[in-house]
Amino acid sequence: MSLVIDAKNIDFAYRVLTNHQSSLKTLFKDSLHRKVRIENYQALKNVSFEVTKGETVAIIGKNGAGKSTLLKLLAQVVPPTKGGLEINGTVAPMIELGAGFNPELTGRENIIFYSALLGRNVKKVKQRVEVIADWAGVSDHLDYQLRTFSSGMIARLAFATATDEVPDLLLIDEVLSVGDGEFAQKSKTRMQEIIKSGTTVVLVSHDLLTVAALADRVIWLKKGEVVMVGKPSEVITAYQTSEI
Amino acid sequence: MKAKKVSLYSLTGFSKNNLQLLRLLIQQELTLRYKRSVIGIGWTLLNPMLTSFVLWIVFSFLFAGKLQTGQQFAPYLMAGILLNTFFNQGLLQAANSIAANGGILTKVAVPPKIFAFAAALAAFINFLIGLIPLTLVVYISGQSLSIFLPIVLLVGFFLALFVAGVGLALSVIFIRFDDAKNIINVLLLILLYLTPVFYPISILNEQMQQIVTLNPLTSFLDVFRWSFSNNATVTGADFAYLSLTGIIFFALGSYIFKKYWPRTVSML
Repeated sequence: MSLVIDAKNIDFAYRVLTNHQSSLKTLFKDSLHRKVRIENYQALKNVSFEVTKGETVAIIGKNGAGKSTLLKLLAQVVPPTKGGLEINGTVAPMIELGAGFNPELTGRENIIFYSALLGRNVKKVKQRVEVIADWAGVSDHLDYQLRTFSSGMIARLAFATATDEVPDLLLIDEVLSVGDGEFAQKSKTRMQEIIKSGTTVVLVSHDLLTVAALADRVIWLKKGEVVMVGKPSEVITAYQTSEI
Repeated sequence: MKAKKVSLYSLTGFSKNNLQLLRLLIQQELTLRYKRSVIGIGWTLLNPMLTSFVLWIVFSFLFAGKLQTGQQFAPYLMAGILLNTFFNQGLLQAANSIAANGGILTKVAVPPKIFAFAAALAAFINFLIGLIPLTLVVYISGQSLSIFLPIVLLVGFFLALFVAGVGLALSVIFIRFDDAKNIINVLLLILLYLTPVFYPISILNEQMQQIVTLNPLTSFLDVFRWSFSNNATVTGADFAYLSLTGIIFFALGSYIFKKYWPRTVSML
């Protein structure tokens, strides 16, 4: 079995300023007084796990347990402070969809730009623009600036663009559906199709029912540490018991 | 063990698709600024002309007679403004670009340097567009273009390296310290006065001349003026100085960025 994610003893610390200002003036002042102003906030401690190709792994835990931080590390946006993290293949993060959308650009330009940000081939995307817009239901607005779109249209366009190509590794932060009514159902169906298509998926969710339905394996995080890894039913039961 | 392939990616950290992204970013940088104005990108042509005209009215009384024979003040001044705008705007935009795109960088794995490179290259292209009105001014003041014109591209290339390098180093400082921007603005103003943008170097006393000659921008500017319309005198040292400045600052800036970026990204 080939590994898509190989995480060994990962630590991650955020740097937090003890006073809220950050300026050269205060740095100068504090260096005279020999004050330490930067504290490390340990978000992940000694996290190790492996994900093999085709698996769907869910991360559960309370707010502040380090779930989203772990997803950021997997998205290779920030490097781990300590430890080794190896990821093989293309990664598509579904974390806050539409990061990179520019209101001054048209719908078409935004599809192309957002895809380029995700590391896709612009030439291929140009041929897919109509299909993407059609799926999102914004075809007749394609050449208007994004600031004229409603927020629902923007969300639909972002979802359609992000899911247009199936990556080797898909990272999902609660985004299992967008929009309302019909589109919510449509996007949910597409998401489930992608997850079941054999792509490797790591998802973060508070919705334990969804986790139980979709995941092959569950990782339970508490205060930055792995408490338990195993079958969804077992881990979810243990998690729920400890909550009470 | 697989042997490591030498590819574009291993050399620059950019994949082929990243280069397409770079192109899109430059396009945006060039067009978005004027998106809401009627004449659009025409401002890129008009802006240096208007600025030069205002400064020409002010300074031609003072300095026009101080240039060497054969040199003309109007193209001298405008060349200075074009190059200075390239440096100033490119630098500030490159330095700001990474903080400005923090929202993207904390969600999608994009090589962050790409935003600084796009800013530096966009400033380079704006500079090239500005050469069109400069050509007009050159002919209006009775000069003609030099046969060494292609050297302008080289000057621009090394200045883009210089801008990208310093911009990268500044970008981590800008994220870390809120007040760094104000300090840099003052330093840039000092640097402007230490560059012979609107005065001929000959009006300075010997000590000041030495200081101004030490400023690498002086070499960039002299070589540019000389290769465009033979409006300055240059030596081989100027060529060496400007190319070394470009290469060294680019390497240094990239190194500083690489070293401090992992610690800075979690502050975005």
